[in-house]
Amino acid sequence: MGFIQEVLTSFVAIMPVTLAQSLILAFVVLGIMIPFRMLNFPDLTSEGAFPLGGCVCGVLLAAGASPLMGVAAALVAGFAAGCCTAFIHLRFRIHTLLAGILMMTMLYSINLRIMGKSNLSVFGSPAVFDWVPFARPGFPASKIIVAGLLALVAFMLLYMFFRTEKGTAVRAVGANPDMAEAQGINVWAATIGGVGLASAFSASSGALMVQSQGFADVNMGLGILINGLAALMIGEAVVGKQTVWRQLLAPFAGAIIYYQLVSFCLAAGMPPPDLKLATGLFVLAMLALPSLKRGRGPAPAREAIRE
Amino acid sequence: MLEIRSARKVFYKGQPDEKVALDGLSLSLATGEFGIVIGSNGAGKSSMLNAISGALILDSGQILINGADVTDMPVHQRAAKLARVFQDPMRGTAASMTVAENMLLADLRSSKRTLRQGLNATRLASYKERLSILGLGLENRLDTRVDLLSGGQRQSLSLIMAVGGSPDLLLLDEHTAALDPRTAEIVMQATVRAVRALKLTTLMVTHNMQHAVDYGSRVIMLDAGRVLLEVAGEEKARVTVIDLIGHFSVKTDRMLLAN
Repeated sequence: MGFIQEVLTSFVAIMPVTLAQSLILAFVVLGIMIPFRMLNFPDLTSEGAFPLGGCVCGVLLAAGASPLMGVAAALVAGFAAGCCTAFIHLRFRIHTLLAGILMMTMLYSINLRIMGKSNLSVFGSPAVFDWVPFARPGFPASKIIVAGLLALVAFMLLYMFFRTEKGTAVRAVGANPDMAEAQGINVWAATIGGVGLASAFSASSGALMVQSQGFADVNMGLGILINGLAALMIGEAVVGKQTVWRQLLAPFAGAIIYYQLVSFCLAAGMPPPDLKLATGLFVLAMLALPSLKRGRGPAPAREAIRE
Repeated sequence: MLEIRSARKVFYKGQPDEKVALDGLSLSLATGEFGIVIGSNGAGKSSMLNAISGALILDSGQILINGADVTDMPVHQRAAKLARVFQDPMRGTAASMTVAENMLLADLRSSKRTLRQGLNATRLASYKERLSILGLGLENRLDTRVDLLSGGQRQSLSLIMAVGGSPDLLLLDEHTAALDPRTAEIVMQATVRAVRALKLTTLMVTHNMQHAVDYGSRVIMLDAGRVLLEVAGEEKARVTVIDLIGHFSVKTDRMLLAN
């Protein structure tokens, strides 16, 4: 009994820290969900866009820019990166996954170039979290409030957008690109804009993370994709994905649940090096579930990873 | 009005398997005319339809819709002028979206999409009314995802989506071929009613010779990428299935079975 109590105590003790972290990382999950589910464009750019946002923000903070400026610049940089991935796919007919790998590999060099070194401390620089009244700066409460509010705003704006005439058109591009084109929708514009927007979210997450942890690192994106995917799978399993509302809620709910789960596993004594293996197996299980349920039979077409 | 001027398209140019899909094809269809396109497999029917819709870029030649040259227009820009129903019910609708959302997509085919709310009460009411014409009960399933509908229902939805907004040109690509005979008949009747009521300029590709005889004001037979035969006016009214089949250079089983 002593062991369980110990595990629970340390798990509960770091709960707020984990919650703050998960709300910041929810934007990466959102950046993974939008291309994957709304545009049918499995995208890996976030693995590069997340540190890109972090590096851009870190450099600006170190130069004395305002934290808001840092987030804004990260958004722009991320948007550009996402647009490039979508353009590579559309123009050269390269598979979306390969386009994403190309982009994130190139972004690694670009991130190093931006920072000039592999990591940069911005400890003590102002952060957007400092602006919360009544909360002591640097404590999880202020991070939870700021990240939570930003998440709420992003959720509401996206929910309203996907119900507009333009938003419906973007979803149609994901559902059936040929049909969308035949209905007068510019598939290129919708894809480039949508993937760009998603990468902007991933980059903003990186910027917030740098402000939260006080340093930027070119390797901060390592494994962010698989974590985000796992979070998305959990979110979809919990809140579903049948409607736009649920599909948009899934990244946020998933991020919160997933990172608490990870924190619990670590508190229970799981060796940190095993974490990626466990996460990978979990994502595999979630993706495999539909085909296991369907029973044996011909393997679905390769493109079926899209569902 | 549709005008195709000496359209030419060659696939795999310069390679051993070079194939001339359109060989200087010229065709003109007056406003309000209902043209039926027949021809054996490989005659160039699909290539012609793809060239008109913009999915296929011509090597040379011109395509005009209502006098406007659309030869170099991408598919999404031509969409303002034409609508198409595909043979495969899957291709014409967005499966993971609802019936109402699909109607909305087609509704805005020729207008600029804004950041205003897409589905509002006015639109939903008009979609309900337009779908009720079919008598398939689709008007009560506006919130149903399209992939839960049967092939016939999906194709009927595609048709209603296509004729909405009275396009300058309606392209029907064997749109009843994948349906069971009864559903095919329902969809065909709905098509004829809509084309008549809205006086749509229509081009329908079919392998069903009976349809070619029964419907339309002009029959156009393609062969090897050019027009082999055109029957219109009184001659069209008298033409029989036997007459048409007689003109096929290769009589495929599929056409004979269609009788």
